[in-house]
Amino acid sequence: MSDLRWVIWLIPTLPLLGAVATLLLARGERAAGMIATAAAGLSFVATLVAVWVLQTMPAEAARIESVAWTWIDVASFRVSFGLLFDRLTAVMALLITGVGSLIHVYSLGYMRGDSRPERFFAYLNLFVAAMLLLVMADNLVLLFLGWEGVGLCSFLLIGHYFDRRSVPPGIVPAEAATKAFVVNRIGDAAFLLAIMLIFSRLGSVSFLPNATLGTPGYLERAAELAFVDVQLGPLGSIGVLTAIGLLMLIGVCGKSAQLPLSTWLPDAMAGPTPVSALIHAATMVTAGVYLIVRNHGVFSAAPTAASWVVGVGAVTALLAALSAATQFDLKRVLAYSTISQLGYMVAAVGMGAYAAGMFHLLTHGLFKALLFLAAGALIHALHDVQDMRRMGGLRQHLPFTFRVYLVGALALAGIFPLAGFWSKDEIIAHAWFTAQNPAIALILIASAAVTAFYMGRQVALIFYGQPREAHAAAHDPHGSMRWPLVVLAVGAAIGGVLNLPGVHWLSSWLEPTLAEPEAVYSVGKAVMAVIVTAIAVGGGYLGWWLYARVVDGNIVPGKTDPALYYLGDIWRGAELGWGLDWLYDRAIVRPYRQCSAFLGRVVDGEALDGLLVGGTGRTFVALARGVRAVQSGHARRGLAVFLLGVVVLLAALLAMTMR
Amino acid sequence: MNQIGFPLVSLAIALPALGALLVWLTPASQTRVARGFAMLSALGALATAVALVARFDASQAGYQLVDSVAWVAAWGLSYTVSVDGISLWLVVLTTLLTPVSLMASWNAGGAHPRLQQALLLLLAGAMTGVFVAQDMLLFYVFFELTLVPTALLIGIWGGDDRRRAAQTFLVYTFAGSVVMLVGIVGLYQAHGVQTGIYTFDLATVLASLQLGAVQLPLETERMLFAAFLIAFAVKLPLWPFHSWLTTAHTAAPSSGVVDIAGMVIKIGAYGLIRFNVQLFPQAAAWAAPAIGVLAVIGVLYGGWIAFGQRDMKRILAFATVSHLGLIVLGIFALNPQGLSGALLQMISSGITTGALFLIVGMLAARRDSRDVQHFGGIWGQAPFLGSIALVMVLASIGLPGLSGFIGEFTIMLGAWISPVLGWTYVSIAVIGVVLAAAYLLRMFRLVFMGPPREAGAPLRDANTLESLMLGVLLVPTLVIGLYPNALLLMMEPSVQQIAQQIGQTLASR
Repeated sequence: MSDLRWVIWLIPTLPLLGAVATLLLARGERAAGMIATAAAGLSFVATLVAVWVLQTMPAEAARIESVAWTWIDVASFRVSFGLLFDRLTAVMALLITGVGSLIHVYSLGYMRGDSRPERFFAYLNLFVAAMLLLVMADNLVLLFLGWEGVGLCSFLLIGHYFDRRSVPPGIVPAEAATKAFVVNRIGDAAFLLAIMLIFSRLGSVSFLPNATLGTPGYLERAAELAFVDVQLGPLGSIGVLTAIGLLMLIGVCGKSAQLPLSTWLPDAMAGPTPVSALIHAATMVTAGVYLIVRNHGVFSAAPTAASWVVGVGAVTALLAALSAATQFDLKRVLAYSTISQLGYMVAAVGMGAYAAGMFHLLTHGLFKALLFLAAGALIHALHDVQDMRRMGGLRQHLPFTFRVYLVGALALAGIFPLAGFWSKDEIIAHAWFTAQNPAIALILIASAAVTAFYMGRQVALIFYGQPREAHAAAHDPHGSMRWPLVVLAVGAAIGGVLNLPGVHWLSSWLEPTLAEPEAVYSVGKAVMAVIVTAIAVGGGYLGWWLYARVVDGNIVPGKTDPALYYLGDIWRGAELGWGLDWLYDRAIVRPYRQCSAFLGRVVDGEALDGLLVGGTGRTFVALARGVRAVQSGHARRGLAVFLLGVVVLLAALLAMTMR
Repeated sequence: MNQIGFPLVSLAIALPALGALLVWLTPASQTRVARGFAMLSALGALATAVALVARFDASQAGYQLVDSVAWVAAWGLSYTVSVDGISLWLVVLTTLLTPVSLMASWNAGGAHPRLQQALLLLLAGAMTGVFVAQDMLLFYVFFELTLVPTALLIGIWGGDDRRRAAQTFLVYTFAGSVVMLVGIVGLYQAHGVQTGIYTFDLATVLASLQLGAVQLPLETERMLFAAFLIAFAVKLPLWPFHSWLTTAHTAAPSSGVVDIAGMVIKIGAYGLIRFNVQLFPQAAAWAAPAIGVLAVIGVLYGGWIAFGQRDMKRILAFATVSHLGLIVLGIFALNPQGLSGALLQMISSGITTGALFLIVGMLAARRDSRDVQHFGGIWGQAPFLGSIALVMVLASIGLPGLSGFIGEFTIMLGAWISPVLGWTYVSIAVIGVVLAAAYLLRMFRLVFMGPPREAGAPLRDANTLESLMLGVLLVPTLVIGLYPNALLLMMEPSVQQIAQQIGQTLASR
């Protein structure tokens, strides 16, 4: 079936063309939505065809490579504009185009009446295209194009309401958009360094050997550097692969919103809700996890870097889960939840549980998209109310939304037998049994308990108890907003079959690419699963019981959570995202701004311009005044000086040739 | 004559000069005729540049399409012009930006339109001359010739501070170039004494130096290197000599006419490659670490100050200082990656920052202010202007897929693998990537995003002429971003040759 290989070019090109067509040709909401949705849907179909082609190939050579042109070629530095479609890419592409298409369909209804639908749908398509390019690139530099491309699209979509003063809960869209881009750029800068270090030591930026360009692949060479160090002068030395891994980790922290670069994601909800679904589920934040999995050869040979990855992931999982437990904004709970769940994935891939990390990435993509889209349905029904203190008792008014939300919440909480249970359990089991790292496992179990708690709390606050505000007109979504929710709810419910213990579809599909030994199942793991589930059920019930039954009457719009009374500063700290925003503002942003003003006014204005330029100018004019006989006028003065120079030159020439 | 029997390179200089003359001779009442002459000659020069690209032999390293006429034979002085892989694309850039600056001049209106157009054309001719001059003294003459129209353009049409700015510009850059003249004469003298051939021809001097016919004592080489370095560092400007640039951009007319024309004043960077690096590889390798430090300081310093500015033109001026720092870093990486990256970045920065200057000019004409705080939320009112501004901002901060990234990344890669610089320089310079996003997106956010300001009528979107000139700049931004190899392939032999020469020098050290 090799004659169908060209189909992989359609996958990113269709949404790209869709974006261009929507921006240039579409007039009106309907046309824009239709073009964009069709492009995304066709891209999904193309992905299915490509997966089928891949399926017909022998497992060990199951990849499609295609180089369109040589992008950069300077001496030894060669970069292709080429795609690589292997089994790992296939999994990512299916998620991106599949969930991405559903979000497009949902947006048809959600964005009705928007003032700039053409831009919205074009950017949505562009987002999908950039993410596809990211996962399909056959080298790091092209991957970086997609990497920055999703950064740009997040900027555009978070800033969709760029002319609003603020959106709930008090975020300025224009600032949130800029913040997302600039914070990401910090990670990107480190990623750039990683690429350069890889090229300088391994002589290539291609993942695999590239026959068209004649470049070697750096991944297969990475292991050679396992014991090679970089000298850091007075700072000592560090292993090359460790350095590469740590630099990449900083990039991952930016894109996948891990601590300490996680601050942009909670504000990213300033965009329309489908955008949040896209950022949190299908595109953007999963890029960091993908990057580590793609570079698994580097990370498995760099244990120090890998252990940092695990640490960052686990700490993020717990701290972000605690933050999620304290929020009152509907979408902010989900935003912190995403950071926390990404922490699970990052920890998993850091431990070498690549298949488990990818599994969780997939199931999370399904249930988080479901939760955000259901949250969008809620926001629509309640006419832009996002504050959970103004909800309550909504399950009678919105039975459909309640049911799908519950499926998503249970899946996220890791309750048997929904999707999240299987994938989360696999990560925890890997941490305890395979990686033999009980500390990490315990942190992850604790995070699972908190996760269940905050989902229980959220469901209770929204759907149970007494209605704290009248929402008589609230109704469930129809049409294009309804059936994507159904599809995703089914996926969130049964997504676990992808990698059931003993069946291992995903693991064995990825095995040729990742060369990761299949997880062995034991009684110990089953016991562990039962314990973890019991803890999750307990946490979830506690959260639901507290907020639906105990403190139900004490929840008042505009007032703090009753738990603050008992937990005090810990609760407050969690609520504020552990003060990172505050810290960055005080420690970096403000000093930077003030120093900038100081540099501009005093150093540049007074010292450099005043002394250096002014001084040189005065000296020079004084010198020139002595010899010139031309009246005032700056241009004339310049001309005079110029002529003087020519005269001096001619004199010098004469003097030399006469000699 | 040359191998094609037609003085193509000379035509690229002569056409704008001729155009300037015709515009000057047109009666003041005949504005349209004057415009026609101006645009025709500019487009003629552009067509000539395209023909140059077509006739250029991408497999050769040396000077091509040479036009040579003896001038003062007794002194070895000749009119010799040619192109090679280093200068080819800079000529194209110059001739591309000239029609755009003419259109900007029409669009802005203002006093003495004929004179302005004539000066713009003169500037274009002189700059083309700088890039194609193969004779050192001819180079110097063109180098100085660019000063006069620039100073007049600032001095006549500029803002409040125009006289001081024009004077600073003239005096400051002239101070540098006199030192260069000493360098030229010194080199001429050294070459003459050792070989008996007194010539200003760069190709001859270069060949003598490379083949060892002329051997400069270490101190002499370093002195000559320093003479050229001072001239070009001031001209660039390299930190800390940048004040004239920010002053000049701030005082230059708001319309951006001069800024865009001046964007081609990448003459300093060109001179560094052509003279400092190509002629004195040993001294270049010796001085590279120190110059690299200044370059990195420039990258961060420019980016940092740009963040705090309110005048959009000052933001862009400091952005230019930052870009130039990176370009110098690339040049003194002394390898093919660094040099090619620097050339690409010179072109890209000229196009993107030039376009942003034009957009600022359009905004300033509509609101009579360049203060970011007098704008806000105009993306909705002027979607085309906003979108083009965003593309140019993104290209300027190095978003891959647009022109800025290729140069930026190749420069940093070159500096990283360079034996004279290394990763420390890059790991500090890379902070500039973050700073650029911070200051340019801040400007974009304050001007185009946020709630629209109540006062005043909605801002008008770009008219046809404005759309046209921005569109002209958009095309190369995309082309360079997606297929930079078209440019890189033609630079390759020349750049490789320089790098090889330096490699040999370093190996023998």
